[in-house]
Amino acid sequence: MTPATLDPALSASKDERRVTRVRPELVTVLSTFALSALLIVASRFVSPALGSWGQAATVVSLSSFLIVAAFGQGLVILVGGLDLSVASLITLSAVLCTTWVGPEAGAAGILLIPAILVVCALIGAVSGLGITVLGIPPFIMTMATGIIVAAGALGYTSGTPRGSAPAPLLALMKGEVAGIPLLLIFTAAFVIAAAVLQQATGFGRRLYAVGASARAAFVAGVPVTRTVVAAYMLSATASGVAGLMLVGYSDGATLRMGDSYLLPTIAAVVVGGSSILGGSGSFVATVGGAVLLTTLGTVIAALGIGQGWRTVIEGSIILIALLLLRENTFARIRSWFPR
Amino acid sequence: MQSSNLSGLSIEGIAKSYGATVALERVSIHLAAGQVHALLGENGAGKSTLVKILSGVVRPDTGQMLLDGQTYMPGTILDARARGVATAFQELSLPSNLTVAECLLMPTLRKGRGGLVSARRTVAAAAEILARYDLRSVAPSALISDLSLAERQRVEIVRAFHHADRVLVLDEPTAALSDVTWLFDQIRRATARGIAILYISHRLAEVRSLCPVATVLRNGRSVATVDLRQADDDEIFELMVGHSKASESVRRSRVTVGAPVLEVRGLTTPKLADVSFTIGAGEILGVSALDGQGQRSLFYALAGLEKRLAGEVLVEGRPSRPGKPGDALRDGIGLLPEERKTEGILANLSSASNIVLPILDRIGRRGFVWPALERAAALESARAVELSPRYVSFRIGDLSGGNQQKALLARTMASGARTLLLFDPTRGVDVGTKEAIYAAIQAFADRGGSVLMYSSELPEIVRLADRCLVLYGGRVFTELAGPELEERTMVAALTGYTSAPLARGAAR
Repeated sequence: MTPATLDPALSASKDERRVTRVRPELVTVLSTFALSALLIVASRFVSPALGSWGQAATVVSLSSFLIVAAFGQGLVILVGGLDLSVASLITLSAVLCTTWVGPEAGAAGILLIPAILVVCALIGAVSGLGITVLGIPPFIMTMATGIIVAAGALGYTSGTPRGSAPAPLLALMKGEVAGIPLLLIFTAAFVIAAAVLQQATGFGRRLYAVGASARAAFVAGVPVTRTVVAAYMLSATASGVAGLMLVGYSDGATLRMGDSYLLPTIAAVVVGGSSILGGSGSFVATVGGAVLLTTLGTVIAALGIGQGWRTVIEGSIILIALLLLRENTFARIRSWFPR
Repeated sequence: MQSSNLSGLSIEGIAKSYGATVALERVSIHLAAGQVHALLGENGAGKSTLVKILSGVVRPDTGQMLLDGQTYMPGTILDARARGVATAFQELSLPSNLTVAECLLMPTLRKGRGGLVSARRTVAAAAEILARYDLRSVAPSALISDLSLAERQRVEIVRAFHHADRVLVLDEPTAALSDVTWLFDQIRRATARGIAILYISHRLAEVRSLCPVATVLRNGRSVATVDLRQADDDEIFELMVGHSKASESVRRSRVTVGAPVLEVRGLTTPKLADVSFTIGAGEILGVSALDGQGQRSLFYALAGLEKRLAGEVLVEGRPSRPGKPGDALRDGIGLLPEERKTEGILANLSSASNIVLPILDRIGRRGFVWPALERAAALESARAVELSPRYVSFRIGDLSGGNQQKALLARTMASGARTLLLFDPTRGVDVGTKEAIYAAIQAFADRGGSVLMYSSELPEIVRLADRCLVLYGGRVFTELAGPELEERTMVAALTGYTSAPLARGAAR
């Protein structure tokens, strides 16, 4: 009998792999922004009025709502969930803002704005607890809270939301500081703060861990329930902020205000290269996804195509973007060029 | 093997590796028709791999099998069945949401009018099968999930008998059966029909009463086929253990054991009864047991992953009642879990993220955990287990099992726990990595940490542990220390045999 010997090929010193210098995430971010820029420039051929700096600025301000709401959706998807209550929470916060705060609100009235966000966070907590403690699938749970919240908003307003935007929100959407739109500054600050929260805090790192494997994270001592509930609370709050921004933008609230944002939040996250199954992705990439989707929307709108076809084109382009931006697409492309 | 002996199943020079791990190196066995042949071996000797090969779950890398003189190389369980070879698996393989009848007849349920499955005919056919094997106590329409463990095992066995026209493999068939007469009767009837049976059990007394011959498997090789009427128990244990190199290597130099760190008194869970022991500072307490004797339950109950029914646990004098692993960590208990893939690694994340997971709040500056901080902390922890710094930024899922295990050990050690619960720390790990893991465990103990370590490999316990608890049927069967802590004594104790006074318990 020969003694077992270690195959030299198995020892670590023979391992020639290197850490990939260019991270696939970075490639995704750059591609989404490059595609957006390309779309804006290309739209000049459609109509000479398009493709200007002005249009780029419009796209950025239009995408700010999606960026904010998609941040929350991204956190929830990161922990392996899905938030279908985004639309309802946008509507709820908008409706509460015009009825509770209103245009003539004084300093005391403005304090109600944080209260609206607390309401949103509590609704998010209900979703999160239902999912973690009661074990209801995220899809069902958030759909249920979404329906309840939407119906609540309908009941509360008796079908017709009253009031208009408080002055500070109008200022946020239309104001400028040193020639730079306030909305742009606000969005940039939000993106930086959100990206840091997700990438460089203990909480953010734990979100990734829970998404990668909830069981393994739990065994390693991560408070999984608390982390997941916090993700849903942040998502609901982010939707609330998006709702407030929309109130400032349109100077009023409607009961269908959030409806057109639910699927785009999911699409922005996925186009940004995050896995829909959780555990991967970055917020900056999601921002790229949101900008790309918004650009697409404005360009297609400018083509003057009817609503139905517009949606078909949008859907197809999202599908193509998803196929192209998948992580392993880059691996495959790399493999075509042997060194 | 005589080539003239065509009847039965000849296994000739079978080998199988999973990546770097050699599961079977060279196995040859001849199962004669109408005979019960025992397969003996320690945990990890390759028994389950052999079972999988015989039943068509995996294919061997080399070697051949002849069934009644014809080449036999099944690709699936159904292939094997078509040739009359069936297996009753150890980890019961019945889907719990189906009925007994469906399990027995799958994949060909009885059809009724219009070609649709007829529940009535399926149940009737199953009732007939159950009656044929004297198992009338089980209703064919019952759901598997409603059966007791023993009943499930019987259904599993009946299913195997039903499909086995030539060869029957029984893998630990008595693990969940308290009464074996039914099984033994069925086995005698099957051998009378000329069926060859491979019988795998760690209960030597049972094996002796059933089988005239036994093949001993060790480190993936069939080392001997013995006539059980001639060989005594000691000879068999000797064959199972062999004279492995590791047992001759130096035992760890003993450190004086300090004050008690972990005290466990009367710990009881559904799978564990009244387990007590104490581990001092700087001490490594080994746990040795055959599969499924409650060792997992012991570790998981201490780590807050399993409920306790009774008992008390003190860590440095303070009671520890963790509801989840996070609580256990706060009490100073860190677990290296059994299942590396599902409970250990976060495959998509870097090794660094995996290592620092429990200490994120400690390494942060003002609440911010910048990538550089994470990397620095991970590098420091990686050094303790000799994990190459290059691997720290790799996706952990891309690393070898050995390096993943090093990273997980680094995580557990970095967590600041003074008591480590290491569940089979070198499972599926190559030789070089094993040495690094041993060194890290010893260094941890030398620094005054205490370690509870289960291992499926006896030499590992002999080498590292100061004392060893042997678990059997959820109880501490005996405690070995000093000169008794040696492989042959351990193998005997594992199977419920002892030359020393029986079961003196481990409470001190």
